[in-house]
Amino acid sequence: MNLRMSAGPHFVARESTQTLMLDVIIALIPTAAAGVYLFGIRAAWVLAVAVISAVLAEFIWQKLAKKPVRVGDLSAVVTGLILGLNMPSEVPLWLPAIGSFIAIILVKQLFGGIGHNFMNPAMLARGIMLVSWPAQMTIYTLPVRVLGTTSVVPSPDAVSAATALIRPSAYSNYDLLIGNIPGTIGEVCKLAIIIGFLYMLFVGTISWQIPVTFVGSVALLSWLLGSDPLVAVLSGGVLFGAVFMATDYVTNPMLKVGHLIFGIGCGVIVVVIRKFGSYPEGVTFAILIMNTVTPLIDRWTSRRVYGTVKKHA
Amino acid sequence: MSKLSFKGGVHPLKEIHEGKEATKSKPIRSYVPEEVCIPVDMHLGAPSIPCVKKGDLVKLGQVVAEAAGPRGIPVHASVSGEVLSVGPKQELFGKPSVCICIRNDKQDNWVELKKLGDVETAPADQIINAVRDAGICGMGGACFPTHAKMMLPEGKSVDTIILNGSECETFITADHRLMLEQPQRVVDGLRAAMRAMKVTKGIIAIEANKMDAYEAVSKAAQGREGVSMALLKTKYPQGGEKQLIQAVTGREVPSGGLPMDANVVVLNVATAAAIADAVTEGKPLIERVSTVTGCVNEPANLLLRVGTVVSEVIAACGGTSEEPGKIFVGGSMTGLALPNDSVSMTKANNCLVVVNQKDAAPKEVSPCIRCARCIEVCPIKLNPQRLNVLCEAGDLAQAKKENMLDCILCHSCHYICPARIQFPFKEAKEKIVARRI
Repeated sequence: MNLRMSAGPHFVARESTQTLMLDVIIALIPTAAAGVYLFGIRAAWVLAVAVISAVLAEFIWQKLAKKPVRVGDLSAVVTGLILGLNMPSEVPLWLPAIGSFIAIILVKQLFGGIGHNFMNPAMLARGIMLVSWPAQMTIYTLPVRVLGTTSVVPSPDAVSAATALIRPSAYSNYDLLIGNIPGTIGEVCKLAIIIGFLYMLFVGTISWQIPVTFVGSVALLSWLLGSDPLVAVLSGGVLFGAVFMATDYVTNPMLKVGHLIFGIGCGVIVVVIRKFGSYPEGVTFAILIMNTVTPLIDRWTSRRVYGTVKKHA
Repeated sequence: MSKLSFKGGVHPLKEIHEGKEATKSKPIRSYVPEEVCIPVDMHLGAPSIPCVKKGDLVKLGQVVAEAAGPRGIPVHASVSGEVLSVGPKQELFGKPSVCICIRNDKQDNWVELKKLGDVETAPADQIINAVRDAGICGMGGACFPTHAKMMLPEGKSVDTIILNGSECETFITADHRLMLEQPQRVVDGLRAAMRAMKVTKGIIAIEANKMDAYEAVSKAAQGREGVSMALLKTKYPQGGEKQLIQAVTGREVPSGGLPMDANVVVLNVATAAAIADAVTEGKPLIERVSTVTGCVNEPANLLLRVGTVVSEVIAACGGTSEEPGKIFVGGSMTGLALPNDSVSMTKANNCLVVVNQKDAAPKEVSPCIRCARCIEVCPIKLNPQRLNVLCEAGDLAQAKKENMLDCILCHSCHYICPARIQFPFKEAKEKIVARRI
């Protein structure tokens, strides 16, 4: 009888890195589907190129660096998908490919692979592309199809339009919620994002702290500065960023109290950039800045250990 | 009814009802072995000293190894018959244990027993001695000599005894069945311990997944002086002493301290039943209920003689149903994997689980993704993720500063980790203590 000797636990939870990533992918499906419906088949191509490039980049890197190939953990799929959803549907198709290579190789693998990157790969890649290819990255167009009854006229010929952030008055609150507006593939349909958020909350992928404090502080601060809080939340990428990018485990704080600080920090920076910066949107940079603050937040926050008197780290 | 609990923890194997389904409604069944091999080092502390030799005829309950020192406990023959051998035999932790093997003559010839009498009237000052003489140690798994726990050092005081019937570990239903079928023994044992320690408050704490046992014990406890009940949430490690004390009394055991530093003593319910037997009948601890489950044909709750060999236990349950890949004693969170099936069941072994090859296969470890699940579940509120990094880097001094020694080794972090990281905290704690870091 050949028995395996090992310390407990002899059974572990079913959840693995792969199942967690799969849950994020499932949560992104409504958003991706809405994006493809609203912006047409072109959006599907962008997403496909982004995902395939991300997985390919990871695979090639791990092969060349003679590291264990971990594309099976699906984290590269998530990165590629989020990056694609962060682009307008009319980008030239080489851009999502380049973006995915930047995200996977420059941001993730060069820092040690999964778990070691200090900034969100999709986020930093988007930041780099926004600065490097500002024109291509902001070719926003009207949806080719619309959802429900609306005054928005769909335009199959990809008519350029300013992001809804610049002229929110052109759209009703219904349009902002359902996504009948110009924008990136993933950010427009807020309803789909909320469905994904609820799914991830339900299965326990993420907790409420970061999305709620992020969105809440954007709404509150915009209102204090005299803007319509509903428009501030629904017109840009706040919801998508708060639900899918600020919640990235690797680059946000460890403790729940740290999550509150992180979420509020993101919200404040978004409003500051929107109000006082030269970019109409600030979600990407807000999350990136807070990513870099994460180690500090982890250092500042601590819990009282059972049976001890609280000490400050 | 409100359920008491603590913050953190996990609900292991929730999807298969903690692995208890197969045995929770099986009545306790007595099994008499052909032969026993009783290790003299079952309990924590110095091993007992054998006082019989090969060829001796021993009676059931006769002392076969004497207590070593005031904190030691004697070992008793768990069958009557001929001593086959005395000497090093079984290896559990790398070095062989001295075992006393006895062939069972099936006569069950008892040695003469000295009883103290009813738990309410027996002389209180003799109870602790009776507990020691009966060879009783913590039957929840740790096997710390019970009389030593009941003798408080100068300057310490205890106002509450908690009987631990939480049985939060997976697979085990031995305490469940004991409480359900013999609640009187459990309550009697608590009363004996309360009188011996001059404690006026006794609380029997049971998890909510054993409502039938809770009701049976409640009924038996009715009208008993100072005894009350506590219903606990089904969660692991609810039965850990620190978590139990926190849930039931709201107190915390100070870092580095013992339950008595929170004025509490915790005893397992099976230990209490053994105390009752020692007082009312003078009966030593020669048998206990153990759950046998997993890949065996007839999962059961067996009343087993101490020292029954694992292979015989498995045969008593109809043999294995699949090729075993691992056999462990205890629950799946902290249970101890056995090197082979020729080792003995001890006073501490409340459960024996046979795992098939598939489930025994090692899980692939991948890098930490900082999901913080380990932090959320840590019942001590440590930061297992950071401690793991420190241990890997060899910075045990810093790990100690960040409360490494407060870890109770419950393995909740390891259980929940999606990257399957094997937090090396047992080794780290041992090194910190051994090297006086």
